[in-house]
Amino acid sequence: MATATEAITAPLPAVEHERWRPSTAGWAARLTVLAIIFGGIFWITAIVPQYWADRISLAAIFAIIGLSLNIVLGYVGQVSLGHHAFVGIAAFVAAYYVTEKAGCTPEEGCALGDFALGMVFAVVSGGVAAMLLGLVALRIKGLYLALITLTYGFMAERSIFEIPFLTRGGAGMPAPRPDGFTTDRAFAYLTFAFLALVIFVDWRFLKSKVGRAVLSIKHSEPVAASYGINVTAYKVLAFVLSGLFAGMAGGLMAFRATNVVSNDFNFSIALLWVLMVVVGGLGNRTGVIFISAFFALFPFLLELWSWLDHYVSGSFGRSLSVVTVTVGALLAILTVIQFPGGFAEQVSPITRWLRGQKFTAHPEGHGHAPKEKGEKKHALLSKLGLHKGSEGKTDGASEEEAKVKEDVDA
Amino acid sequence: MAVLEVRNTGIRFGGLVALNDVNIDVPEWEIVGLIGPNGAGKTTLFNCIMGLYQPNTGTVAYRGRNVSLLPTHRRVALGIGRTFQNIGLVRGLTVLENFMVAQHPRIGYGAIGALVGVPRSFAEERKLKANAMEVLDFIGLSHLAGSQLDGLPYGTLKLIEIGTVLATDPDLLLLDEPTSGMGPEEAHEFGDRLLELRKTLNLTVLMIEHHVPLVVGVCDYVYVLNFGQILTEGLPQQVKSHPEVVAAYLGTEVEEEEGENVPA
Repeated sequence: MATATEAITAPLPAVEHERWRPSTAGWAARLTVLAIIFGGIFWITAIVPQYWADRISLAAIFAIIGLSLNIVLGYVGQVSLGHHAFVGIAAFVAAYYVTEKAGCTPEEGCALGDFALGMVFAVVSGGVAAMLLGLVALRIKGLYLALITLTYGFMAERSIFEIPFLTRGGAGMPAPRPDGFTTDRAFAYLTFAFLALVIFVDWRFLKSKVGRAVLSIKHSEPVAASYGINVTAYKVLAFVLSGLFAGMAGGLMAFRATNVVSNDFNFSIALLWVLMVVVGGLGNRTGVIFISAFFALFPFLLELWSWLDHYVSGSFGRSLSVVTVTVGALLAILTVIQFPGGFAEQVSPITRWLRGQKFTAHPEGHGHAPKEKGEKKHALLSKLGLHKGSEGKTDGASEEEAKVKEDVDA
Repeated sequence: MAVLEVRNTGIRFGGLVALNDVNIDVPEWEIVGLIGPNGAGKTTLFNCIMGLYQPNTGTVAYRGRNVSLLPTHRRVALGIGRTFQNIGLVRGLTVLENFMVAQHPRIGYGAIGALVGVPRSFAEERKLKANAMEVLDFIGLSHLAGSQLDGLPYGTLKLIEIGTVLATDPDLLLLDEPTSGMGPEEAHEFGDRLLELRKTLNLTVLMIEHHVPLVVGVCDYVYVLNFGQILTEGLPQQVKSHPEVVAAYLGTEVEEEEGENVPA
């Protein structure tokens, strides 16, 4: 008879669990659908009027902002109501650099190198601004942190955005687009490239120790620390990364508008950004990207219905932007009450299918929880050598034994 | 030299003195029990040892090195592992991912490297996953690898937690009520398992435990904490029959049950 020690040290027979994999045809179908989605986005950008290409670039920028906020809201689990401060500061820094330091003018344009450096400064300034918030967030959480971010946003609006040499008052700071990307269409493709970069970093964030550390900290700081995670460092890192993304979005916004005006960065837009992340699905990349793009395009889609514009301005004396915020708020309420997973949860069968799983509303791993708890637990204990007289026996045998034992007990 | 030396540790929360002048030694390869009534300060002492709380007085030394000023994650890196009274796992991550989190201190690639996607991070992630699967296979839970924690039975979660803490590669293991939620028989089996673990993994253990027969069965030495102070200490059999302990913790009925509960 095997001793208890041997039972523990000897590897137990591995439980075969087959993971379902699509056939070759299945993969081909998935790749085709992906190609249609991505190809469609590029194709639409290529054929629409310049005027619409400009709006598509705004959608890509909103997607970057959505992913930036998603880190704070979805991964860290804190609310930032002052993201317009990060985006705005970065926009002004980028515009200030290319106009005042690099000597770009709307007439002569801007060298690609100057644009690149302007973007670097924008990204860094966003990161630095967010690092301050991250350091505050080490001590303050939840509602109070939300209030601090709100104050931070208003502070930026009232002070930084009104520094004359940085913002040129109400006239705004010019930010000419770089050579080769002056058309709206070319600039839209440029924003796609930046969005792709952000998606890549966000993907590596979640798939590496960084994302696991941040999610552990969100769940419980003592538990995370007991796993050997440096809670302080990873919390600040998450905020800084969010700021870097926001800074990139700010720089792109500056060049998209070609003239940065402080009115563009106000609290109501920060609120809209929070709403779009909630509606998209907290912590879900795909959902956040799609809904952010939707929120960017929505006001322009509304304009297509001229009667609606007529009705809103005629009957309520309001501009159409009111409709966006109202719809955003309604969607957010609907999300919170009825669909907590957001848009992402609703389309999850599709995204799961595209990732090579079955088309089902129930993800893998769910429904594995054993129903007959007592029985399963006995089986588990047997495997661990915790169950009396179970040494060396296979899974099936111990399960049978557990059943017999339960019968005897009954 | 003891693995863990807690000296004159005291902590107060406002007016409440949670711990007062506590001294504990955990010698190499011993299983030391820490018992005491609810609210005696046992978990508070664990939090002081781990650095989750900053004691007002006293020092904590690990293998002769004063770790009193080190943050928690540095103490974990030195080899102190800890479980929680309420399960210390990360809900929202799968079982497999929890085992990957547990390997965090030994990951070679840096955080920045991870974000820019250096090839090393991809390779190491694959290795982490393989390691985690290996541990899961070893403890017979590989069929649960992709499962969420919600919905798993309490006993399974307890076992997963101990598994993940062992994956942090501890030298000294702090167990906070490992058998809570288990029946007497399961608790007894857990004791056997713990003795085996100590043998195979060379562990030194400090364990908070309410289950008296288990304490008597596996512990080499026992400290009794009451109202934040060490009431008494000694060999399990001595402590168990100590009149003050009986009065403070075990209650009067224990005298009658004693005979049945002591493991043969």
